[in-house]
Amino acid sequence: MATAPIPGAAPARTSRMNPWVLAGGLAVVVPLLAVLVLNLGRDPRSVRSPLIGRAAPAFSLAPVGGGAPISLESLRGRPAIINFWATWCVPCFEEHAALTAAARTFREVHFLGIVYEDEEATTQAFLAQRGSSYSSLLDPEGRTAIAYGVFGVPETFFIDGAGRIVEKYVGPLDRGTIAALIARAKGGAP
Amino acid sequence: MIPALGRTLILLALLAASGGALVGFATGARPTAVGWLWARRLAYAFAALMALANLVMEYALLTHDFSVSYVAHVGSRSVPTWVSMVSLWSSLEGSILFWGLVMGVYVAVATWQNRDKHPEYMPYAVGVWLLCGAFFSFLLAGPAQPFSTVPSPPLDGPGPNALLQNHYLMVIHPPFLYSGYVGMTIPFGLACAALLVGRLGHDFIRPLRNFLLLPWIFLTVAIVLGGWWAYEVLGWGGYWAWDPVENASFLPWLTATAALHSALLVERKGVLKGWTVTLVIGTWLLTILGTFMTRSGVFNSVHSFTQSAIGPTILVFLAAALILSVVLLTLRVDSLAPEGTLETGPSRDAVFLVQNLLFVLFTFTVLLGTVFPLVVEAARGVQMSVGRPYFDKMSVPIGVALLFVMGVGPALPWGRATSQQVRSALLPPLLTAAAFAVLGFLLDVRNAWTMLALFFGGFTAHVTVSEFLLPVRQRMRSHGEGFLEAFGQAQRRGQRRFGAYVVHAGALLAIVAIGVSSTMGTSKEIQLRAGESTALGAYTLTFVTAERVSEPHRESIRARMDVSKNGRPLGSLYPRMNQYESQREPIGTPAVRTSLTEDLYLSIHNIDPDSGTVGLLVLVNPMVGWIWIATAIMALGGLVALVPSWRGARVAVTETAPVAGASPEGSH
Repeated sequence: MATAPIPGAAPARTSRMNPWVLAGGLAVVVPLLAVLVLNLGRDPRSVRSPLIGRAAPAFSLAPVGGGAPISLESLRGRPAIINFWATWCVPCFEEHAALTAAARTFREVHFLGIVYEDEEATTQAFLAQRGSSYSSLLDPEGRTAIAYGVFGVPETFFIDGAGRIVEKYVGPLDRGTIAALIARAKGGAP
Repeated sequence: MIPALGRTLILLALLAASGGALVGFATGARPTAVGWLWARRLAYAFAALMALANLVMEYALLTHDFSVSYVAHVGSRSVPTWVSMVSLWSSLEGSILFWGLVMGVYVAVATWQNRDKHPEYMPYAVGVWLLCGAFFSFLLAGPAQPFSTVPSPPLDGPGPNALLQNHYLMVIHPPFLYSGYVGMTIPFGLACAALLVGRLGHDFIRPLRNFLLLPWIFLTVAIVLGGWWAYEVLGWGGYWAWDPVENASFLPWLTATAALHSALLVERKGVLKGWTVTLVIGTWLLTILGTFMTRSGVFNSVHSFTQSAIGPTILVFLAAALILSVVLLTLRVDSLAPEGTLETGPSRDAVFLVQNLLFVLFTFTVLLGTVFPLVVEAARGVQMSVGRPYFDKMSVPIGVALLFVMGVGPALPWGRATSQQVRSALLPPLLTAAAFAVLGFLLDVRNAWTMLALFFGGFTAHVTVSEFLLPVRQRMRSHGEGFLEAFGQAQRRGQRRFGAYVVHAGALLAIVAIGVSSTMGTSKEIQLRAGESTALGAYTLTFVTAERVSEPHRESIRARMDVSKNGRPLGSLYPRMNQYESQREPIGTPAVRTSLTEDLYLSIHNIDPDSGTVGLLVLVNPMVGWIWIATAIMALGGLVALVPSWRGARVAVTETAPVAGASPEGSH
């Protein structure tokens, strides 16, 4: 107790500065801030899904606007990015441009969209209006979304060349994050 | 149009707050009447602008104006009107806007109440409040803008977080929580003002304590409402999980409770001024830490706003606030000279000190457990969770110890007690304590800590009731009044004291109820087909059928469970699974049958109406209802203590004649 900083009990005006308060305060404040700052660097949207490290669930889905179904199998050998999205989701608008640009830049990576809980007509109109550089697939009963454990859109999965999920990202992506996660998906290839 | 109007109001609020903060500090340093007038005007302007901005947002939400970014994020045409209204605080940007409204109301009230009082302190206090107001306005103007324009607005939005739509408690929990959280800014500003002036006079401890008590009442209710919500909605059968966000609301409550008590020592003895000011400042800092925790995404929690980019901004504010607070305390705390000495022998004074240290120990324990996973992750890169075992192990002894000092403190007299006084104060309550313990044993309590909680609960109940009645008995004896008249008189003359003991009664009931409910419950998990029955304790449950229920914003499947107790039918319970439009995972709503002795709690794990099966978690939780009742008692006690000091601030001096040896107003 003798050293505990209970300042009110100290004799008045012995000094202008109370070193005990300073030492005690800094002893609490500095480590606390250090921990918070260190953890701020971590991206909370990079979610540790139980699927990470496992083989990505297979699918074979028809693209928006018609055409032959695209399967996960057919993407083997190159990293892939699978983005679950919907036209009713505002963050999906935000990331759509970044994904479209990235798909043009990273030609060695497959980009795929999977439409989550949406109508084909509205999706088609959206893509016609905003343009896209990669296919979006229809998931009529949401089976694929369930298999991937999608909780809300946008969610994006990064898959390596061997078909394993390397990363799950919740929330809108920007170009920097896409590039960083692609690098990881490439590193994860066998 | 609406987005531009909203943004303009926010910018004006930012201007008013930053200008007012400057004027406040300048006037504090060099008092002038015109400076104080303008500090006040700008404080009122800030409040009015925040209120208007909130009105504009409500208008946009109700008219489904999807050109406003916040409405596009959380609005939906398919939700009921009440959901649209409360969407204001359902997501990050709106919640900060709402924060601004609450802040504005507090600042306006506190400024108005003290407009012609404490002239040397108040400009500084207004300066500090508006500095905080300026920071939150800045968040709304930049990093967390709710009024951005959506260039091509969608036709419909996703609707707010489904958890918000799932239960009415989620509608009232956030306003209470914000009123508690934001309100702590007011005592913080007053404490900073005391440090800046270099004095904490007897007159100024009163507004400090009252403005601490008001948000304390809100925070108490909010914490328990959050627990109640978890209990009624999340379906795991408990009310408290030591989740980081729950802890974030609990931490400032602990320090605020400690400060409310040490403020009494400041008031009565003129000691512990610096300590009290430190606790008040710490309380506010913990609310900002909590804000950071819920909005940075650094902590994972069912309650947090995870999609947020304002973490770094709040962290900078938190860091600046922490460092400035330490510097301010270091430089100025010694100027708050004590006017008396603290009794350290056996006395109420000493127990107050022990109680304060216990609360601070509790705060550090919870804080450590909350940030420890972050330490591990930073050091080793492993995600881990400290979880309940640590918190339970640490908090149970501290809780029981607090229960004990809550009995011992009020039993002892102020100043040093003789050993004769100590004996006569502490021995009689031991009888009630023993009675409680024996009663518990007869009702099958075998857990040692629960037993101890009952024992100290009995002790404290005895002391609380006799302290409660002490002035009544004295009046009956000295004035020859009947019980009711004496009660009324004593209550009027010592309303703060009465309120405090009502709070104590609620707190002791809450601790005992928590102890009993967390150790004496029974549960089972079971899979049933239609027509099958199961039994737990005295209850028999029959699964009658699974039904589909359709509402505009959700589809539900509910199980009809017929319940009987000891063969007597009690009607049906309907636990349900809800499917919201915007969410893939269904959300369950448990069915709870509450009675004064125990709750029957049914939660669905899985349900299939086609094959007619249901998977159920069934719990019998004793005394849970008493936690909610105890909280209501605590809040009521707080109000009883608050109202007279509020009203009586002007006439207080006339009524200080003590009643025949009893401590008058404010003996505890």
